[in-house]
Amino acid sequence: MKDATQVFLRRLPLTLIAAVAIWLALRPAIDTVVAGFAQTLIRSFEYPRVTRLVVEDHRVQMRRTDLRTDSKVPSVSMNEITFNTIVLLALYLALPNPFSKRQLERLFMGWCVLCLTQSINLLFHVKALYAMGLGEWSQHNYSDLARNVFGFGRYFSDLPGRFSFPFLIWMGFNWDAVMKMLRVTGDENKKRKSKKENK
Amino acid sequence: MNVRELWQKPEARFLILFLTILGVSFTVVALRQVNDAFVTPYTAVIARMSGLVLRLFGEKATVTGCVVSSPRFAVTIYNGCNGLITSLIFVSGVLAFPAKISAKLIGVIGGLLTIQLINLVRIVSLFYIGIFLPQHFSDAHIFVWQSLVIIAGISLWILWAHKFALPQESS
Repeated sequence: MKDATQVFLRRLPLTLIAAVAIWLALRPAIDTVVAGFAQTLIRSFEYPRVTRLVVEDHRVQMRRTDLRTDSKVPSVSMNEITFNTIVLLALYLALPNPFSKRQLERLFMGWCVLCLTQSINLLFHVKALYAMGLGEWSQHNYSDLARNVFGFGRYFSDLPGRFSFPFLIWMGFNWDAVMKMLRVTGDENKKRKSKKENK
Repeated sequence: MNVRELWQKPEARFLILFLTILGVSFTVVALRQVNDAFVTPYTAVIARMSGLVLRLFGEKATVTGCVVSSPRFAVTIYNGCNGLITSLIFVSGVLAFPAKISAKLIGVIGGLLTIQLINLVRIVSLFYIGIFLPQHFSDAHIFVWQSLVIIAGISLWILWAHKFALPQESS
């Protein structure tokens, strides 16, 4: 039988290409879902509810209904926020039997969690802009504590989060398969010990 | 199940150690003092190495801080482009994994060098994409190379665990 790790590593370049294709095809839908959920989260804690996140050409525009109509509209690239979907998909598809019911269920659950992290990343972008990027208005409406909290949240959900969440989610939802592939289980350790004793 | 019993399980110990090392390392590099003393000079070294490779390829590249420029194109190497985050994920995985110290040492040194080599290829290739295919620079930068670097880091970790950390099965 072929070694599971070797099969996984051999599949990975191909699944990466497939993942890029899937992400490019689904990008408009992913943008809408992530921005929509982030807007819901932001408006849940906002009074009056003025934030509107509008996706246009893979950028999300942060519009506020209380801003002047001639105000500049800040925007964030959705590609930077959602590109890590490619990593999650590539890792999932490289595992054995990726289209079995169990694996598809795991993929769905993992993808939902990743979308949630992407929405939280966008939320922190918007809140950090409100707390730090709008001059006197930010100073007047947000405390130093809020600035620190939103800055901290943006930092962690940005580079560290975007890079590590797909790996952590993939590993978490496929814990048994990944640990079996890496042979890090209590049972494997017992087997190794008994092998040594037999020798 | 108490904490001691949980700690006895290698997979649980790996998870706890991995998340702890990852969280601590991300927090440490976020500190301003660490950023000024380590991250910025480290990024400047990456920029100098990229400039050196570009000059070897005949490009009239100059480096100022973290900016690599030539008469044809210029790039600024930011925190996300220096391979540091991928390196931290990789090193956390290696340090948390149940393996001998010597295997971990091989993993950390070999893995960091390989990730930096891949990152160097990334920066140089992006520089040339910026010159010859500027309309594709953003796509290549954001979703092609970032995904590739993360996947490379994870693959290296799995490869290391397979080749160096795990006891070889006798046939």
